Amino acid sequence: MSRQATGTAFVALLRRDFLLAYRRRAELLQPLVFLLVVVTLFPLGVGPSPTLLANIAPGVIWIAALLATVLSLDSLFRSDFEDGTLEQMVLSGQSLALIALARTVAHWLVAGLPIVLLSPLLAMWMNLPDEGLLILIESLAIGTPVLSLIGAIGGALTVSLKRGGQLLSLLVFPLYVPLLILATSAVSSAVVDLPYTGQLGLMVAGLIASLTLAPFATAAALKLSLS
Amino acid sequence: MNPIFLFFHKTGSPPWFYKYSGKLIPWLWAIFLVLTAYGLYLGLVVAPADYQQGESVRIMYLHVPTAWMSMMIYGLMAIMGFIALVWRIRIMEVLVISSAPVGAAFTMIALITGSLWGRPTWGTYWVWDARLTSELVLLFLYFGVIALYNAFDEPRKAARAASLMSIVGAINLPIIYFSVEWWNTLHQGSSMGSSGTGIHPSMLLPLLLMATATKFYYGANLLSRARLTLLKQDHRKRWVQDVLSKESH
Amino acid sequence: MSHTPFILAAYLISAVVLFWAAIAPIVNKRSLLRQLKNRQARMDKSQ
Repeated sequence: MSRQATGTAFVALLRRDFLLAYRRRAELLQPLVFLLVVVTLFPLGVGPSPTLLANIAPGVIWIAALLATVLSLDSLFRSDFEDGTLEQMVLSGQSLALIALARTVAHWLVAGLPIVLLSPLLAMWMNLPDEGLLILIESLAIGTPVLSLIGAIGGALTVSLKRGGQLLSLLVFPLYVPLLILATSAVSSAVVDLPYTGQLGLMVAGLIASLTLAPFATAAALKLSLS
Repeated sequence: MNPIFLFFHKTGSPPWFYKYSGKLIPWLWAIFLVLTAYGLYLGLVVAPADYQQGESVRIMYLHVPTAWMSMMIYGLMAIMGFIALVWRIRIMEVLVISSAPVGAAFTMIALITGSLWGRPTWGTYWVWDARLTSELVLLFLYFGVIALYNAFDEPRKAARAASLMSIVGAINLPIIYFSVEWWNTLHQGSSMGSSGTGIHPSMLLPLLLMATATKFYYGANLLSRARLTLLKQDHRKRWVQDVLSKESH
Repeated sequence: MSHTPFILAAYLISAVVLFWAAIAPIVNKRSLLRQLKNRQARMDKSQ
C-alpha cells in the first residue's frame, strides 16, 4: 500500500468520523453534560467550603473527566460494528492500526478536547487556585488523548458485546490509575508552588507510548471482536 | 521427531492433556499439603514473634506468598495469552482463563490478610499504602478479565479476548505499581510491612516454604479447572464420551 | 490488644477461600459429568 494511499485513507476516515459526529452531535453532548453534572455534585455533596473544594479540585475534575470519557467510548466502534462498516474496514487491506488510530484521534477531538476546553469552568466551580489552572489544562491536554487511546482498546474488545458499556469501564479504569495519579499530582504541586514538570514529563512519555502501542492493541481487539 | 516438539504437540490434544494432567494433579496436591504443613509448623510454632510487631507477623506467612502469587499468575496469564494469540494454541487459551479465578482468589486473600495484619500492628484495617492499593487495582484487573471472558458467547473468542486483556493489563501493571508507590511516598502514608529490613532465617524458611507451596496449589488448581473447561467445551466430542463411560461408575 | 483473633481470622479466611477455590472445579466436574450422563441416557432411551 503506497504511503500516499495510507495518508489519504487516514484523512478520509477522519473526515467521515467528523461528519458522523456532527450528525449525532446531540449524542456527543451527553458525556460533556455528564462531566458538568458530576463536578457540580461534589460541592453539593461535600459542602461549599472553598478550602475543601480547592483541595479536592484536581482529583474531582480528573475523575469527572475519566467518567465522561468512558461514557463516550462505548459508542466508539459500535455503530460501525452494527452496520457492517467495521468489517469492511478490516477487509479493506488498509492497516487496521491506522484505522484504529484515525478513529481514536476523531474521538479525542470530539470528546476529549471539549473536556480540555471546559476545564477552566470546572476549575472555577471547584475553586482551584489560579496557579493550578494552566497546569490543569496542560494535564488534560496531554492526558485526554491517552484516555482515548487506551479506552479505544477497551471499546474494541467490548464492541461485539450486548452490554459492553459497563464492562468497558471496569476494564479501563485500572489502566487509567497511573494517569490519574500523575495528573492530579502535577496540578496539586503547581498550586503549592512545588515542581510539577516531572509528572508532566512522565505523562508525555505515557502519551508517546500509548500513541505507538495502543492502536495495535486496538486493531487486534477489533479483529478479535469481528471474528 | 524432536521429543520436545512432540511433547508440546501432544499437550495440545485435549484428551491427552486431560488424561495426563489427571495423573499429575494428586501429586501436586500432595506436595502442596506437605510443604504447607511444614511451612505452617515452622511459621506458627517454631519461628519467634517479631520484635516490633509481635505475634501478628505470623500473618506474613500467608500475606506475602499469596501477594507474590497474585502477581505471578497475572504475569503468566499474559505470557500464556501472548502464546495463545500469536500461535492460536487452544490449550493456552484454556490455561489463561483457568488461571484467572485462582489469581483473583490469591489477590483477595492477600488483601484480607494484609488488612488483618494492619489492624493489630499499625492500628488500622485499611491504609492506602503502595502495596495494598496496587493489590486492589490488581483485583479489579482480574475481575475485568473474568467479566470479559464471561460476556462472550463463544468460548474460544472469549478466551482470546481475555488473553488480549491480560497482556494489556500486564504491561500496565508495573506502571500502575510504580505510580501508586510514588503517589504513596508523596502523601507519606504509613507503609505496611517492614520492607528492606533483613529477614531472620527462622522466618525466611517458613516464608519460602509457603511461597513454594502456593505454586503447587496453583498448579493443581489450574490443571483441575483446565480439565473442567475442556470437558465443557468438548462435551459433544468422542473423547468426552469415553471419559464419561470411564469415570462415572 | 491481643493479636490472636487477627491471626486466627487471617488463617481461617485464607483456608476457607483456598479450600473453596480448590474444590469448586471438582464439584462442578462431577455435576457436569452427571448432567452429560443423564442427557446421554435420555438420548439412548429415545432411540
